[in-house]
Amino acid sequence: MTAVSFKKFSRLLAELGVLLVLYLLGCQLSAWLHWPIPGGVVGMALLLLVFATGRVKPATLQTGATLLMAEMLLFFIPALMSLLDYGPLLRSEGWRILLVIGASTLLVMLATAFTVEWACRWRLRHDA
Amino acid sequence: MTLEPMSLFWLALTLLAYLGSRWLYRRTGRYLLSPLILVPVVLLAVAVPLHTGYAEYARNTHWLMSVLGPVTVAFAVPIWQQRALLARHWPALSLGMLVGSAASIGSSWALAHALSLDNQVSLSLLPRSITTPFAMPLAHDLGGVPELTAVFVMFTGVLGALMGGVLLKYLPLRTPLARGALFGVGAHGAGVSRAHEVGGEEGSVAGLVMVLTGIFNLFMAPLLRHLL
Repeated sequence: MTAVSFKKFSRLLAELGVLLVLYLLGCQLSAWLHWPIPGGVVGMALLLLVFATGRVKPATLQTGATLLMAEMLLFFIPALMSLLDYGPLLRSEGWRILLVIGASTLLVMLATAFTVEWACRWRLRHDA
Repeated sequence: MTLEPMSLFWLALTLLAYLGSRWLYRRTGRYLLSPLILVPVVLLAVAVPLHTGYAEYARNTHWLMSVLGPVTVAFAVPIWQQRALLARHWPALSLGMLVGSAASIGSSWALAHALSLDNQVSLSLLPRSITTPFAMPLAHDLGGVPELTAVFVMFTGVLGALMGGVLLKYLPLRTPLARGALFGVGAHGAGVSRAHEVGGEEGSVAGLVMVLTGIFNLFMAPLLRHLL
């Protein structure tokens, strides 16, 4: 490993470490205060507060944060494998479940897109 | 303690399938080869003939899911970077998220009941349009099965990214805001990558809206529990 890539790698590890510490802090805080909010969300709020103070710029954590978000799929693949235990359920309800997901997703997309489009046009008319 | 080579096998296979599929998808751009579809297919194709149960598969792979916590923290970066967009368009975006979330939860519940699905399945369907790190804790809160929700979230992403592309062709949407919100609220992560292919502003809007919708739904959990 060259010196440059080693430096980049340790930098990445440090960024991931900061995100992990914020997550653990968030979990602690949420447990202490008996909040029903997951630790990750509290950690995210903490990080937003840190950004708001202006002492740390988002660019500082960019590499680590982007890596985690880009590879997010890998982290929930194990949950998908719960399908192994739901074979009978899928055989009996699979098509109905897919129908619900398909129809509901179509509805969500139409409702969201038209609401935002309408709100934007309304604002254009009234701002002008 | 006994050595369990089979459970390490599952971790290795998961990582290999993921890296392989990511490489293939980047090279070919074929949707069927994307990790969202190919990895579960490969893993199931090996696990089902071997009669592997979820507990055995998860023994050495479940820790991967705990990374979803730090992923949630990382969402602060895009939110902060898009705060100007949010400051300018928060009324339209909030309204879209509110209507979209209500449509998602309401229609999932109504359809699941109309088709007389199992109660646990119905509950696990409710958070399916938000991104996994938020959907799994929400499912747990509502009394559903978080793993089952992750499966439904995946199907929503696969179907939503396809449907969203078709919808954009036929809907008279003139603003990038509406096009981005369609993907961000309707199809979470899979939708966001699709929105980035449509345009830069669509992608930013979708990414921002995806995270905000997740947070919004999570904070609505007490109200939902009350209604159910």
